[in-house]
Amino acid sequence: MNCSCKKSDLSLIKPVLDEYGDTPGSLITILQHAQDIYGYLPTDVLYCIAERIGASPAKVMGVATFYSQFRLQPVGKYLIMLCQGTACHVNGSQRIEAAITQELGISDGETTDDGLFTLKNVACLGCCSLSPVMMINGETYGSLTPSKTVEILRKLKEEG
Amino acid sequence: MKIVVGEGSCGIAAGAAKVYSAIEALLGSSEAMLTVTGCIGMCFLEPIVDIYDGDELKKRLVKVQPDDAEKIIAYVNGDEKAVDGIEISDDDKQFLEKQTRIALRHCGLINPEKIEEYTAQDGYKALEKVLNTMTPEEVIEEIKVSGLAGRGGAGFPTWFKWNAARQSQGEEKYLICNADEGDPGAFMDRAVIESDPHNLIEGMLIGAYAIGAKEAVVYVRAEYPLAIERLKEAIKQAEEKGFLGDNIMNSGFSCKMRIKAGAGAFVCGEETALIESLQGERGMPRLKPPFPAQSGYWYKPSNINNVETFANVSWIILNGGDAFAAMGTEGSKGTKVFALTGKIQKGGLVEIPMGKTLRDVIFDIGGGIKNGKEFKAVQMGGPSGGCIPAELLDTVIDYKALGATGAIMGSGGMVVMDETTCMVSMAQFFLDFTAKESCGKCIHCRIGTKRMLEILNRIVKGEGKEGDIELLEELCYSIKDGALCGLGQTAPNPVLTTIKYFRNEYEAHIKEKKCPARSCPDLLSYSIDPDKCRGCTLCAKKCPADAISGEVKSAHSVDTSKCIKCGSCVSVCRFGAVNVD
Amino acid sequence: MESIKVTINGREIIAEKGQTILQIAENNGIEIPTLCYIDEVKAYGACGLCVVEAENTPKLLRACSSVAFDGMVVKTDTPRVRQARKIALELLLSDHTGDCKGPCSLNCPAGTDCQGYVKLIAEGKFKEAVELVKDRVPLPASIGRVCPHPCETACRRQLVEEPISIAFLKSFAADKDLQSGDKFMPEVAEPSGKTVGIIGGGPAGLTAAYFLAVKGHKVTVYDAMPKMGGMLRYGIPQYRLPKEILDMEISSVAELGVEMKNNVKVGTDITLDEIRSKHDAVIVAVGAWTSSSMGVTGEELDGVFGGIDFLRSVALGQPVDIGKRVAVIGGGNTAMDACRTTVRLNADEVYVIYRRTRAEMPAEKVEIDEAEEEGVVYKFLCNPTEIIGDNGKVKAVKLQKMELGEPDAGGRRRPVPVEGAFETIELDSVIMAIGQKINIGGFEQLELTNRGNISADTSTFRTSMDGVFAVGDATNRGASIAIEAIGEAQKASEVVDGYLNGENVGYKKPYFVEKTVTAEDLADREKCSRAKMPQRSPEERKHDFIEVNLGFTAEQAMNEAKRCLQCGCHDFHECKLIRYANQYDVQPERFFGEKHNCPKEQKLVSIERDQNKCILCNLCVRVCDEEVGKGILGLVGRGFTTVIKPEFDSPDVAAYCKDCQKCVNACPTGALKSL
Repeated sequence: MNCSCKKSDLSLIKPVLDEYGDTPGSLITILQHAQDIYGYLPTDVLYCIAERIGASPAKVMGVATFYSQFRLQPVGKYLIMLCQGTACHVNGSQRIEAAITQELGISDGETTDDGLFTLKNVACLGCCSLSPVMMINGETYGSLTPSKTVEILRKLKEEG
Repeated sequence: MKIVVGEGSCGIAAGAAKVYSAIEALLGSSEAMLTVTGCIGMCFLEPIVDIYDGDELKKRLVKVQPDDAEKIIAYVNGDEKAVDGIEISDDDKQFLEKQTRIALRHCGLINPEKIEEYTAQDGYKALEKVLNTMTPEEVIEEIKVSGLAGRGGAGFPTWFKWNAARQSQGEEKYLICNADEGDPGAFMDRAVIESDPHNLIEGMLIGAYAIGAKEAVVYVRAEYPLAIERLKEAIKQAEEKGFLGDNIMNSGFSCKMRIKAGAGAFVCGEETALIESLQGERGMPRLKPPFPAQSGYWYKPSNINNVETFANVSWIILNGGDAFAAMGTEGSKGTKVFALTGKIQKGGLVEIPMGKTLRDVIFDIGGGIKNGKEFKAVQMGGPSGGCIPAELLDTVIDYKALGATGAIMGSGGMVVMDETTCMVSMAQFFLDFTAKESCGKCIHCRIGTKRMLEILNRIVKGEGKEGDIELLEELCYSIKDGALCGLGQTAPNPVLTTIKYFRNEYEAHIKEKKCPARSCPDLLSYSIDPDKCRGCTLCAKKCPADAISGEVKSAHSVDTSKCIKCGSCVSVCRFGAVNVD
Repeated sequence: MESIKVTINGREIIAEKGQTILQIAENNGIEIPTLCYIDEVKAYGACGLCVVEAENTPKLLRACSSVAFDGMVVKTDTPRVRQARKIALELLLSDHTGDCKGPCSLNCPAGTDCQGYVKLIAEGKFKEAVELVKDRVPLPASIGRVCPHPCETACRRQLVEEPISIAFLKSFAADKDLQSGDKFMPEVAEPSGKTVGIIGGGPAGLTAAYFLAVKGHKVTVYDAMPKMGGMLRYGIPQYRLPKEILDMEISSVAELGVEMKNNVKVGTDITLDEIRSKHDAVIVAVGAWTSSSMGVTGEELDGVFGGIDFLRSVALGQPVDIGKRVAVIGGGNTAMDACRTTVRLNADEVYVIYRRTRAEMPAEKVEIDEAEEEGVVYKFLCNPTEIIGDNGKVKAVKLQKMELGEPDAGGRRRPVPVEGAFETIELDSVIMAIGQKINIGGFEQLELTNRGNISADTSTFRTSMDGVFAVGDATNRGASIAIEAIGEAQKASEVVDGYLNGENVGYKKPYFVEKTVTAEDLADREKCSRAKMPQRSPEERKHDFIEVNLGFTAEQAMNEAKRCLQCGCHDFHECKLIRYANQYDVQPERFFGEKHNCPKEQKLVSIERDQNKCILCNLCVRVCDEEVGKGILGLVGRGFTTVIKPEFDSPDVAAYCKDCQKCVNACPTGALKSL
């Protein structure tokens, strides 16, 4: 399969493929790097990876869609990772989710029309004592209440 | 003086890094040294700062804020009273004092990024002893004597697995560490890797020596970036010091170690799925037999153990299997680490000898339930485990005793629930998790968990039907019997235990369309009692959905079409004017 | 090769070391179901159907991957195993969208494989078509002419324009066969030595006779009338069903060795006990031959006839004095037969009086229209309240005007009288075609329903008398259409055959997967109107009893048959899923929830893929990967939402697929289809 090199700059992934392309079992590692580079996994990049490692594109697609870490679509500027761990659940993460959905009009996995926010429910972030917790672009927000959550989102919105 | 800031993920999330920066900014005005440590396990007190004079812990400061930096500097500069307000209470000290720490013995005490601090605590001495004085068979025998069992949940004897891999034919063998801590509500493994990575490396090397593996892999959850970073650094340092790599300590034994980051799939905690994932495939479990000891990673003999299991190994080698076996019960030896969370006063990491009771952990160490509420149940073992009710609080921590309740020991997640937690919703939560995490390979799990979830969904919505409980039970038993791997086979446990102990709650949802815990949003409606409302406007301001309106000093009202039933109004109202029915 | 001893279901078996339980069972004729295992690729373990119990093993084992060891004791059919399999099948079916059979076949009371024979007709295979029809209906030329065709009612083609002309296609093929000089005759089994007496030579009785004769039993049919055929002969007018056709089809039944005894009426000429004593089993299929009365004054007058009584008299060639002005009361098919017969008996004014409107008439629309073409006048929203006589003879009928009120339980709007509004029309005769009842004479010893019909078990067809079965209009719910009676008779023949072999198994409706289709789903189909049956003109036909319909030409029939959408699954007869589903007695409805709703069939070179029938056994993926070495297909997603797709849904795949069809052959369901 030829790389249909239409959109993505495939030169960016080349060093990664040079490093891991010949090591068996490196597909997941390569995909992780690719996602770091492109922000998501564009189709043409997946084709390119498949060709380089000698796997069928169907297999690459299978792996890319199996793990929740991988995205086939770009995400918003702010990636809200809402913890759905047990402790957060017990401490009301459902209510936080309802507040986010109400405020931004998006559900799990969706991105706002303005491309600002993406909501993703994630398994335990491991900050159980601060539950309920969300992480936005690496920053952890703990001991959330619905109103506190909305305040945080509105502030980010203002910042644009 | 040495100022040590606890920087586990949890501490950092609570603001430890900001505290560190604040202290660092003022450090020039003192003689003190500033460093970090991992997680000591007192999450409820984070951020924590310890002040040492030499090896002596002088002060343990808790819930430290950046503003407190000045007080800390004042203290190290000689003002004895400067930190009085933020020092740990005698009561909270008990949290650690009542524990027996083996797997966590260095956590929160040493700097995980410095191998010297580990070697200063007898680090790599066990490895040295093994390589210089013991045959692999002797190592396995020592582990057998210790009675160490798999801490990942299933509790399979560690020596047996090692021995099977040892006995398996083949030059090429692999030792794998399962650090894919997937139970949502458990973070013991993360704490060990972040706080004491060399202990893990050492335990793994001993295991590799025992089974005859020249390569070891740690499969870590992608959600643990700090753990990956620290482990990477630790591997580098161990290689530099000659504890890892070719001809370790001139013993002739060689072993490489690398990290493989998972990519988000709970099922990869199942060992054959983990192996598939390591090979760059979809993490779908293989048929067993053959077991990994015969045909595992790259179809070579492989042994897989959990982080906590490895974390006990060096201690056992140094102190003897007998010393480990002296702790615990007839069938469960040594200690176990639990991540205590939920509606608990003092949440954190608790390591105690087997044989203690749940009450010991939850009430004696954990300080009981938050906000003066009643204890209702404790969830153990996460999505594979179950809920244990109040009447079984005196159950001892032992694989068999916990199994008899319908729950499991599990990897150590212990989520405490109070009277406001709906047990049906709890079961729904776990099924939602397993259904999403089902790999989709076998029918029982792929469709079975989905159907169970749908039934639970309708029950919590008040749309449950007569016969739904029985239908759930039928599905539960069939899925346990028919599912391919551990994920599916144990997925029904949260449902079965909640039905067993809290059947009345299910019935109330189905028959009366009521949630006894007043937790299920679809079965609640919010309104404001005009006689009690003083028109303070606080609820309206706090409502995230703008569902409350009213003039100042006159009764407010809730627009039920906008209300998202988040309960914010109830928590802010000082007059008890918000009714929830 | 080292050998081991394994016990399966109590049977000691010598097997080769290294073989799996599944292989050993297969080699020894022990069936263990599996959907995801084939010999060509590695065991996968997805379906969980092959689970078995092994002694001293607490967990169920997957037979496909469990290597047997010496001394192993295995049970493949325990209740626990069956339950695990049943649930697996139910779960699969709860997410399986398709049509095992077309709606035509499912809606046919006799379960005729309409789609199958329509397809054969489209291919010009008329004889094969008849053979397939006769698998369920032994009188296709007759039934094709008279059947109100529930198949067409259900036909999905009407979502595009109009249903397929299934019934006429059937009579077309059957006519061709009868005319061919080499008509289809079924193979008859070796004589069983058992005899069956069938009372009633109508559609039900003849059907039972046909199928029981085919099974090798000696059958005698007893009938009260001078000739066989029952209502087909004495209730359906000649212009719809020429009796020559019926005679030919009855001969075909007789040629199987069925003895036909006419003019034998039970209760008069012979008793039920006598017949019972002569045969190993008896089937009562006497029909419902008494016209219902309306209960209005004047019914006893000269010139008042019952609908079926009237038709019977005409069929028997008896003189019937109806005069010139006739009213037929009722809106059903018997009313249509009666009024059109009346027209042919040269009445000048023929009225059909019906309480509701045209839209509510239960008669076939085509019959209603054709009657009108022949000069019949409809008087809707009228209800006779009195038949007025003069000298003991009908003179007029008084009609209460009606209007439609609220819908009744059945959804039809109930007619209610308009107060004070009456009309009287002058008449010579009145034919009451408002229903029919059984005449129980001769069968009093059988238990009856509270409606006065013979009570027969709906599954075993047994009556209260041992060895006596009953089917058709005479039983349970009473009179219905011929095909209903035929369907019952065919099922009863299976049950009676079992009874004669000492089994006691009732008929059980098989489980089929069905789906709902809307006009939108078929919006892409090209419109192609239904073939119109060539007919004689109303002017010509109203004066005689010659058949109205002229029949299709072969070309017309084939073109019409080609309109069929082929709704039923192409894989029905090979599908392992549906076979196991019926073996394990599934009830998947209890688990119904969200289903995969993938876009319609996708094409992969010359393979059509229907994701909604996919059970994710992954065989296509594995075969393409392991056996063909291509890896074109792959799993996408995780958990419940997993689907199988060719790489990225790319159109380029065509260039890489060898089109070897191995995936299609491996597919255990109808998810993959060769084009």
